[in-house]
Amino acid sequence: MQNILKELEAGSLDRPKRLKAAKKEGKKIIEYIGNFVPEEMIYAAGAEPYLMCRGGEPEPPDAVLEYMLRFMNPYARSLAGYHMLGLDPVTPVADLIVAQQLDCHIGRISEVMEYMELPIYKVGVPPDWKKDYTFDYYHKALLKLKDKLEKETGNEITEDKLLEEVKASNAINERLRKIDALRENTECPIGGTDFIKLNHYSFFNDTEYMVEALDKLIEKLETEEPKFAKGTPRILFAGHIVAVGDYVVPRLIEENGGFIAADFLDEGIRWYNWDVPVEGDIIKNIAETKFLVKTPVTLFQPAWRERVDYVMKLVEEKKIDAVVWYQLAFDEIYDMECTILAKNLGEAGIPFLKLESSYEYSREAMGPLRTRIESFIEAVKEAK
Amino acid sequence: MNRDVCVEYLKYLAFTDEQIEEFMPKFEYAIPVLGLTEQDLRFSMDEWLPQNFDMQYEGVKKLMGATLRETVDIAYTTEYKKQGVKIVYGILPAIQTNYTAIKEAGGDGVFVSFADHWLLCGLQYLFHKVDPCLEKAEEEGMTYGCRHCALNKTRIGGYRKGMMAAPDVIWAWGFNCDEGPKTDEYINMLYGEGEWPHVISRLPHDTHWGEKDDEMVDRIEFLAKELKDGQREIEEIIGIEVKPEHMQRAVANCQRRAFKAGSLVQLVCKSNPQVLGANALTMFCNIFALPMNAGLEYFEDAVDTMLREGRKAMKEGVGVIEKDAPKLGCYFVPYAVPWIDRIFRDNGVAMTFSTVLTPNKKMMQAPSFEEPFMATAEQWLRMPIGQNMRYEIDSMIDKAKSNNVDGMVMGFFDFDRWLGAHQKMCAKIIEKETGIPHFYMESDFWEDRDYSPQALKTRIESICQVIKMRLEQ
Repeated sequence: MQNILKELEAGSLDRPKRLKAAKKEGKKIIEYIGNFVPEEMIYAAGAEPYLMCRGGEPEPPDAVLEYMLRFMNPYARSLAGYHMLGLDPVTPVADLIVAQQLDCHIGRISEVMEYMELPIYKVGVPPDWKKDYTFDYYHKALLKLKDKLEKETGNEITEDKLLEEVKASNAINERLRKIDALRENTECPIGGTDFIKLNHYSFFNDTEYMVEALDKLIEKLETEEPKFAKGTPRILFAGHIVAVGDYVVPRLIEENGGFIAADFLDEGIRWYNWDVPVEGDIIKNIAETKFLVKTPVTLFQPAWRERVDYVMKLVEEKKIDAVVWYQLAFDEIYDMECTILAKNLGEAGIPFLKLESSYEYSREAMGPLRTRIESFIEAVKEAK
Repeated sequence: MNRDVCVEYLKYLAFTDEQIEEFMPKFEYAIPVLGLTEQDLRFSMDEWLPQNFDMQYEGVKKLMGATLRETVDIAYTTEYKKQGVKIVYGILPAIQTNYTAIKEAGGDGVFVSFADHWLLCGLQYLFHKVDPCLEKAEEEGMTYGCRHCALNKTRIGGYRKGMMAAPDVIWAWGFNCDEGPKTDEYINMLYGEGEWPHVISRLPHDTHWGEKDDEMVDRIEFLAKELKDGQREIEEIIGIEVKPEHMQRAVANCQRRAFKAGSLVQLVCKSNPQVLGANALTMFCNIFALPMNAGLEYFEDAVDTMLREGRKAMKEGVGVIEKDAPKLGCYFVPYAVPWIDRIFRDNGVAMTFSTVLTPNKKMMQAPSFEEPFMATAEQWLRMPIGQNMRYEIDSMIDKAKSNNVDGMVMGFFDFDRWLGAHQKMCAKIIEKETGIPHFYMESDFWEDRDYSPQALKTRIESICQVIKMRLEQ
C-alpha cells in the first residue's frame, strides 16, 4: 500500500515538471482555484489543469502582507504568496488562472494576482443559491468559462470530450468512496490523513493513471493489516480546507490515538460523494451538482441548517465518537459556523475540539497543539 | 434618571422646547434599555462631544440630535412591535433607496432602519459606550481573536441585550463582505430558527481588473433582479405593497440628498481655513446612504443648517484649524472613533473627505434607466465600494485630485475582508500614479478597544510630520 501511495505522491510532486514539458509541446497550462471550477472542462479543452491549493508553511502567507490585510486566511494568502516568493513552479508558466469568486478572501487575493499581471479569469458563484436566477448566473458563468477555455486553447469543448472527462472524474470518485467505505470499520488499513492525501494526489496525477492506481490500492487494502486498533476513537474531521502540504493536524490526530473515520471539508478535497450525471446537458449537470445537489459550502446562504444536519448524519452513520473542527486563522465565516456546530454537538453530547492554524508550526506552537490533541483523544477514549 | 439632565442634554443637541416635550417619553423609555446613565449623558455633553466634534455649529448639534432620535427609536422597537408596527432592518452596504421606498409605502405602520449601524453610532458616537454590546456577542461565540466586524457584533449583542427587537424581516445586501449577511443566519441558528427572519441578496465579486461595473448591463440586470426579488419577499412578509411611485420618490429623494452631501464635501474641501472636521462631515454624508426611521428629516435639516453655517464661516474666514493647514483625504474617516480626527487636528493637519461617502461625478448624474430597480442597481454599482479594485482606484484618484489634498490616509478597516483587505494595495498604486502621499493605518472604524489613542498617536504624529516636511520642501 505504501508503495502505491509513494508513487502517487511522486506523481504529484512531478506534476510541475510534466506541465512544463507539456507546455513545450504546445499544451496550455490552466491553474484553477476552488471546487466550483470544473477540472473536467479544462481537460476537455485539451489543456492541463493544476489546482492551486498549497499551504501549511508560514512564509507564503506573510509574503503578501505588503499588499494585503493580515486578517485574511493563510490559505488564500498562500495562493499569491508562493508565487511572490518564487516558490511556485507552475504559476509563472500558467496561461490562465481560473478563480472561483465566492468569498472575499479569494476575491481580494485574485485582485493581488491581477495587479501582478497574472492571467486571472473569474467564475462568479452567488452564495444565495436557492434562487432560480442565481443558479442561472453560475450556469452562465460556466458557459462563459467554456468560451474562454476554447478561445485560450483553440480547441472546442465538445459534449463527447466533456462527457468522457466527467466519466473519468466520476470513476475517481467511485474509487474514493470505496476506500472511504473501508473507514466504516475502525480496524482499517488506511487513515484519514492518507485519505485526504489521496484526494490531493487525484488532482495532480493524470486521471487514467489515478483510476488504475486507486484500483490497485483497493485490492491491496483488502489484505492489508489494520492500522488502527479496535476501540480507537473515531473522529470526524471537519472545516474549511486541508491544503496540499498542511498535514500536521490530521497527522497529529492519528499519531495520538485517534482515527479520522470521516471528513467534511469544503475545499482541497474532491466532492467525491457527488457524481455528475452523465445523461443530458453536461455543463448544466456539472452546475447542478456543484451548486444545487451537493451539501452547501459554508459560504452559501442558507447553509448551516443543512450542514449541521449533514454532520449529525455523519456522526450517526459513521459511528463518530468526536468531532475535530479544523479552522484557519481569521476565517470569519468558519469561525461562526464553529460556534453553531459546537452548540449543536454539545446538545447531542458529542465531544468537540476546535483547532485553529495560521500555518505556523514552529516547535513552540507544536507542543501545545500536540498536548491539546492528546488530552482530547484521551478524554474521548475515557468517555467511550 | 434626573429629568433635568435629560432636558439639558436635549437642549445641548439643539432640540427646541416643543421637540423636547414631544421626544421626552421615548427618551426616558430608551435610556435604561440602552444601558445609559446620568453619568453617560454628562460625559457626552461635558467631555466626549465637545472634545471631538465641532459643537459650535448648530448643524453639528442637530446631527447629533438626529442620531440620538434614531437610536432611541431603535430602543423603542419592542414597543412598536407590540403596537403591530412591522419592523424592517437593513445592513451596510445597502443604500437607502429601497428601504425608504418601504417607509414611503408603509408610513407609521412600518419601522425601517439600519439598526446595527444606528445603535452603534448612538452608543459610540454620542457616548463612547458600545463595548457591552460587543462583549455580549463575543461571550456568545463571535470570538474576539477572529476580528469579526463590530457592526455585526452590535446586531447580535444589541438584540441579546434587549436594545432592539427581532425584526419582522431584515434585508441584508451582502454585496461587499460575507460576514454581514451570514450574521443573520448565525442569529437564527443560535437563538432559534425563525427567530430572526431575513432576506439575503448577494452579488459575486467577479468583475475583472478595471472593468466598469456600473456599465455592464448584465451585471446591473442581475443586481436589479436581486433587489426586485428581495423587495418582493419583504412586501410579502410585512404585507405592505411598494408601488413604482414609492420607488421613484425614493430614488429622487436619494438623488437630492446625495447632491446636498456632495455640496457639503465641496464646501469643506474648498474652505481655507477648513470650516468643519472630518468626523462630522463623514457622518453628514450618511444622509444619502443610510435609511432612518425617525431621524432622516432631522438629518436633512442638520445638513441644510450646516451648509448655511459653513458658507457663513467660510465667508468670515473662520475655521476649525488654522489657515493653510495641510489637508488629508481618507478612505473612510472613522467617525465612530472620533478622537482620530482630533489627534490629526491637534497635530496641525486636517482630515477632510472620505472617498467612500463622497459622491463621485457619476453618482450625481441622473440614472441611465427609468425602471426603478435598474436605476437603483446602477446607482449602487456607481459607488466605488461596488466596484473591482482597479475601477475603485480610478474613482479614488479622481477624488483625491479634485479635492486637492496633500495626502491620503487608508486603513481603519482591519475587520473587513473586503473593504479593508485592499487598502494597502490601493495606497501603493495611487501614490505611484499620482505622487500624492498615502499612509496606511491598521485600525478599526467602529471601536477602539484594540487601538487606543496612545497606540495610534505616534503613527498619526509621524504622518503629520511627513506631510508638513513634504510641503515645506
